[in-house]
Amino acid sequence: MKPIVTFGFLGTSLDRAFGPERWSKWRPTVSMCQHEDLLISRLELLVDPKFADMARGVVADIAQVSPETEVVMHDFPLKDAWDFQEVYEALYDFVSDYDFEPEKKDYLIHLTTGTHVAQICWFLLNEAQFIPARLLQTGPARHDSRDATSAGRYEIIDLDLSKYDRLATRFAQEQERTLDFLKSGIATKSKGFNKLIEQIEIVAVNSKAPILITGPTGAGKSMLAGRIYDLRKARAGLTGRFVEVNCATLRGDQAMSALFGHKRGSFTGAQADRPGLLKEADKGLIFLDEIGELGLDEQAMLLRALEDKTFLPLGSDKAVQSDFQLIAGTNRDLRVQVAEGKFRDDLLARINLWTFALPGLAERREDIAANLDFELERFSKAHRKQVRMNKEAREAFLKFARSPEAKWSANFRDLNAAVTRMATLAPKGRITVECVTSEVARLQESWCDVGGRLSGDLPAVLGDKQRADIDPFDVVQLEFVIRVCKESKTLSDAGRKLFAVSRAKRTVTNDADRLKKYLARFDLKWDDVK
Amino acid sequence: MKTLNPILQIAGDAGGGQLLRSSLSLALVTGQTFRMTNIRGKRPKPGLMRQHLTCVKAAAEVGDAAVDGAELGSTELVFRPGKIKGGDYNFAIGSGGSTTLVLQTLLPALLHAEAASTLRIEGGTHNPMAPPFEFIDQCFLPVIQSMGVKTSVTLERHGFMQAGGGVLKADIQPIQKWKKLKLTERGEPVETFGRVLHAHLHRDIAQREITTAASVLEWQEDKIELRYANESAGPGNALLLGARFANVCEISTGIAQMGKSAESVATGAAKGLHRYLSSSAPVGVHLADQLLLPMALAQGGVFHTHAISDHTETNMTLIQQFLPVKFTVTEVERGVKAVTCRDVDGR
Repeated sequence: MKPIVTFGFLGTSLDRAFGPERWSKWRPTVSMCQHEDLLISRLELLVDPKFADMARGVVADIAQVSPETEVVMHDFPLKDAWDFQEVYEALYDFVSDYDFEPEKKDYLIHLTTGTHVAQICWFLLNEAQFIPARLLQTGPARHDSRDATSAGRYEIIDLDLSKYDRLATRFAQEQERTLDFLKSGIATKSKGFNKLIEQIEIVAVNSKAPILITGPTGAGKSMLAGRIYDLRKARAGLTGRFVEVNCATLRGDQAMSALFGHKRGSFTGAQADRPGLLKEADKGLIFLDEIGELGLDEQAMLLRALEDKTFLPLGSDKAVQSDFQLIAGTNRDLRVQVAEGKFRDDLLARINLWTFALPGLAERREDIAANLDFELERFSKAHRKQVRMNKEAREAFLKFARSPEAKWSANFRDLNAAVTRMATLAPKGRITVECVTSEVARLQESWCDVGGRLSGDLPAVLGDKQRADIDPFDVVQLEFVIRVCKESKTLSDAGRKLFAVSRAKRTVTNDADRLKKYLARFDLKWDDVK
Repeated sequence: MKTLNPILQIAGDAGGGQLLRSSLSLALVTGQTFRMTNIRGKRPKPGLMRQHLTCVKAAAEVGDAAVDGAELGSTELVFRPGKIKGGDYNFAIGSGGSTTLVLQTLLPALLHAEAASTLRIEGGTHNPMAPPFEFIDQCFLPVIQSMGVKTSVTLERHGFMQAGGGVLKADIQPIQKWKKLKLTERGEPVETFGRVLHAHLHRDIAQREITTAASVLEWQEDKIELRYANESAGPGNALLLGARFANVCEISTGIAQMGKSAESVATGAAKGLHRYLSSSAPVGVHLADQLLLPMALAQGGVFHTHAISDHTETNMTLIQQFLPVKFTVTEVERGVKAVTCRDVDGR
């Protein structure tokens, strides 16, 4: 055990007592040195020089009842012990000059003596960790106590809340509930995802700064934004509404007016004043999904609105105020957009203080089971119809869902759709193996069907610009070629698979060369598609 | 003395502070290292409190001992005694802790030192749960003086709980040869006496004690003398009721405490003496406990007492762990027990 050093003011009224009767009185500074189970090795006693005589008496009495205690008197003159600024400053200076050795000594602050202002200052200095101490609260013995003595009683209070088991458990439960809440009650197992949610929880409760959620379509950005709103409303004093906008649906004048509002007559069709979505989110939270789709003019307005909390509605010369919090969503790499001049770098800097990348479902295959249950439950509630999945069906579905075969290119949207279809088609509310088999086929087909909408591989290999130059006719073929390449170990291996029929008729096989030339037409090399 | 074990293991939850103090005394005189675990294990606040720590440190100083675990709240202690050093010692105990308990702990050791010693102990001289100075001076010392001990004590200043500040002094000569104890008869009655020590408190308290005690013992009130102890730093009050016989003296004590009425203090003390007087055994409950160690050091002896307390039982067991002696308790007649100590080697 480390020796205990205690800081305390001389209690100019509580410590005041004279004659032999003083020993029958509870005097906080003397009494705290009389406890059988508390040994104060050193007492740093802060004394206003006006009371030096009284202090010497107290020191002598401590020497008698506690020969083990060394008392050091510090001159601590205060013009006005009730002046917060003066007391804080004086204590701050004292503490700054003090040479703390927390690894060698245990520090206590005796809170019972001194003015209430002094107590507040002690508390603040301790809370802000200028003093590495625990708080010592002393009091006279309760009258009904059996072994009442003038030593009275004491409690030691540690402001480190994590040291209190009950409190720690409650905090843990609270946090558990919050995490659970953010995950919509889905018991996810993915370590990466759970870690991410823990970070989001801390930021969601403690920060008002914008949050940027990135991730592929259907990864759950919108749902998460809604949950963060609910959490801030419950825990961080958010009072306004939750407004959700997909920026991809905003175009031209409509975009400006939808976000920032307009004055009547400011453009054709503006027949009445419109407050705009940012105004609607006043004291609330706005979720701008696909923020990368926002036009440059709107970006500039948004930046100003974020920085000044004011903006000009279309056709108005009067700024409107709105104190909104922002969550932005994107499935694009905004840095690329900045490089291409499509996104303002100052706006990006403003919104990506907290960036969280939501993984797609394919990267969280261990969470599919929990999400399947969630979707089934959701369907049941929405349709007031109990839907069950028998064990074999569930296993068959999960086996497919977790296999690399399942691409989940639209992530949770795919899963939601799959469950909706299976549940709707389930005979008597029971999803059977047959239901699953046909659903698996439907899913596979949808992921192969690239007419117009491309599945994952192509954009990754080709830039957006390159992709725009390819005819849909070629896209289908190219995607199939790339998929086979990815599944193959070498160029020759891929060539053999792709030209499996024609190579049988040839005498000289040159599959590798044929494939290489095909890829070259799209400026692609084997290394690009591997 | 021969060493029994490399380290003697003692379960501390078998007793309280007294078990620890007796162990310290025994370790010092035998040179036997001990480890006590679960110190004061059954108390509401287990482990070493400040008064115990003071004893441990004083014992370590006198016996040049190496100690592990001498910390506040510690529930395990290893005490490795060295050579006992006679000399002049000065100990101060916090919070008016008992000076007589420290004296009792150190006395056996200093009797076995090569040189004479003086002890000056500052603290409480009249504490609850400890023998008052008068008990040491008039009851305990005369018996062990008959066993060859040359020690005297003086009370320099009264000290009570809380304020403390009392001073007890002891002059201790090394013992030449222990004589075996035989205390089976009280001898002729000499006197009964009563005294209230009173410091800085309302006189009414003392008067109520006198009235109550006199009525329980069927004494005249003026038999109990009121003596002021106003040189004491703090307030305090002790009621001493005694009976002296040719061979022995008994004092029953009540110490005033906050929250305890003068009447209950006096009734407790008076009933204690009354119990002693209604038996014929010479040794009272507290003295019995204190005589065990000297008797064991003298390698034998016998006394008669009227009751064996748990303390005494525990203490006999403990002494037998340190020294090659065997205690036996036999009932001599109704209400009289003989405590005999024999050397197990048959000496």
